[in-house]
Amino acid sequence: MMDISDLIKSISLFKPETTLIVTFMLAMILDMAFKKSKNIAGYIAIAGLVIAGIFLFQQTGVNYKAFANLLVIDSFGQFMKFIVLMSSLIIIVFSFFSNELHNAHTKLGEYYTLIIGMTFGMFLLVGSANLIMIYVAIETMSISSYVLAGYTREVKRASEASLKYVIFGAVSSGIMIYGISILFGLTGSLNLFEINQFLSVNNVATLPLLLSGLMILSGFGYKISAVPFHFWTPDVYEGAPVTITAYLSVASKAAGFAVLLRFFKTGLLDSVPGTSEAWQLLGNIDWHYVIAVLAVLTMTLGNLVAVWQTNMKRLLAYSSIAHAGYLLMAVSVMNDNGVSAVLIYFVFYMLMNLGAFFVVQLIANKLDSENIDEYNGLGYRSPVLAVCMTVFLISLAGLPPTSGFIGKLYVFSSVINSGYIWLAIIGVLNSVVSLYYYAKIIRNMYLRDVESAKTKLVFSPVTIAIVLMLAIPSLLFGVYFTPIVEWANYSMNIFVGN
Amino acid sequence: MISEFGIILLYFILGFVFVGIALVAAYFIRPSHPNAIKNSTYECGEIPIGEPWVRFNVRFYVIALIFLLFDVEVVFLLPWAIVFKGLGWFAFIEMIIFVVILLVGFAYVWGKGDLDWERPKPYIAKLSDLVIGKKKQ
Repeated sequence: MMDISDLIKSISLFKPETTLIVTFMLAMILDMAFKKSKNIAGYIAIAGLVIAGIFLFQQTGVNYKAFANLLVIDSFGQFMKFIVLMSSLIIIVFSFFSNELHNAHTKLGEYYTLIIGMTFGMFLLVGSANLIMIYVAIETMSISSYVLAGYTREVKRASEASLKYVIFGAVSSGIMIYGISILFGLTGSLNLFEINQFLSVNNVATLPLLLSGLMILSGFGYKISAVPFHFWTPDVYEGAPVTITAYLSVASKAAGFAVLLRFFKTGLLDSVPGTSEAWQLLGNIDWHYVIAVLAVLTMTLGNLVAVWQTNMKRLLAYSSIAHAGYLLMAVSVMNDNGVSAVLIYFVFYMLMNLGAFFVVQLIANKLDSENIDEYNGLGYRSPVLAVCMTVFLISLAGLPPTSGFIGKLYVFSSVINSGYIWLAIIGVLNSVVSLYYYAKIIRNMYLRDVESAKTKLVFSPVTIAIVLMLAIPSLLFGVYFTPIVEWANYSMNIFVGN
Repeated sequence: MISEFGIILLYFILGFVFVGIALVAAYFIRPSHPNAIKNSTYECGEIPIGEPWVRFNVRFYVIALIFLLFDVEVVFLLPWAIVFKGLGWFAFIEMIIFVVILLVGFAYVWGKGDLDWERPKPYIAKLSDLVIGKKKQ
């Protein structure tokens, strides 16, 4: 039985989420009230996200188990919530300039409302420490994202993407909730803290624990598009509007990784102090190797298939699968270095991936195509855009002066420090493969079909400014990355109670 | 010794066996004189038209989904009514917020016109249609 003082304190720490709910309703009502204004819900959404960000900032340094251990408010969650919040903000700004969305609908009220709903689901997911809460949060974000993926209703491939997303989502969350039920049967609790206590005292049969863990992993793996659960990714990323594709590839993944890390650290970690070097896992199962195998499969398949793609959205979809592989590599070492590497990587990944998708969206606005060949001669048709795209792609490939290099550096060093040299070697080889297809786009932009350079592509100064606002930090953080690293090191402690 | 789950499994098996025995026994005891009329869908003489797999109008689902929300609201109101005395004003305000959130959704659905049941307008033939030389619209 939770007492009322806990409830009141929990509600006071629930302000960011409450703000999002209020924003959700305001956007919905005012969008109906102001029939003339097309983007009113978008402006309200931006205001709501900014206010939620301020409340989130006020929670710095708070460690609290809210609502009778349902949600955890800690600095790790705060960091991930900031990533989600920033990408929601950037995506809403992108949506103002999306031709495909504005052509498909006269009003976009529901679109912005659903983005806020999805942000709310991800906020819950990042903080949840109860298996049912995790499930409810995943469904909250998924249902919004199913609708958003098919938002351009008249486009056939968008409807197809949405349907595929629903079916795969239903199957994987079904598998996940079955795994949850097995874990509940084994330990007698849905709360991660209590599961942890039970596992540290009692001996549990290995096979059911492994099975339930794998089943729960399939739900998380679906969200982060890790390899055996990735089949929806290319089709959904290709069919959905570019803004939603970008959103799924960053925010959805951030929430998935947050819950994955929290599940392992809170649920399956021995809470004996002094084990920060390598987390001591409970229950005779070497989860390092399970995750490491997933990581190798994910990045290898993502990179090898990306080489053959001719559609930019599909290419970036496979590249985002590969990036999930690199991040899983950092998860697999299961120590605090790994967590901070994941956090650092996500900041940079957000900048460069959203940037690359925005360029794709701008090109699609002008040329109505996402084919790689359309990028021929872009270096001369729109020099600023091409330079920015080059920065994003080099950053995605992980070459030095860009921030992507720093992200990869921290991931690989966390892997090598834990002694998984073989894993690091596979990761580096994968980076080499990825360089090929990123460089192919850069080659198309500067070295191919220079004749078409006569027709210039003109973009409005505002859109160019937005691209620059993403490209300049991508470069800057490659040189001056200390603040991000310090912030990540401060935030890497996942609150495990006591 | 049978564990608690073992008893459930036993019930599960017994259930199948019970139904199986009843069906097999009936098969041996009952008279069997099938013919075409007896095997038709409606034995009473009604001749079936068309396929049984008809498409239901999507509006049914919209209404059902909206109904579900308010159904769940009532389900939440019941346990709330039990603890209401102990929690007092706090619980009252909390429930008001919950109901207001649902009402906003209701207003939205209403305003968007999702509750309007657009009746199909079948064209009923008039006598004038039969007049030669006059075309249907």
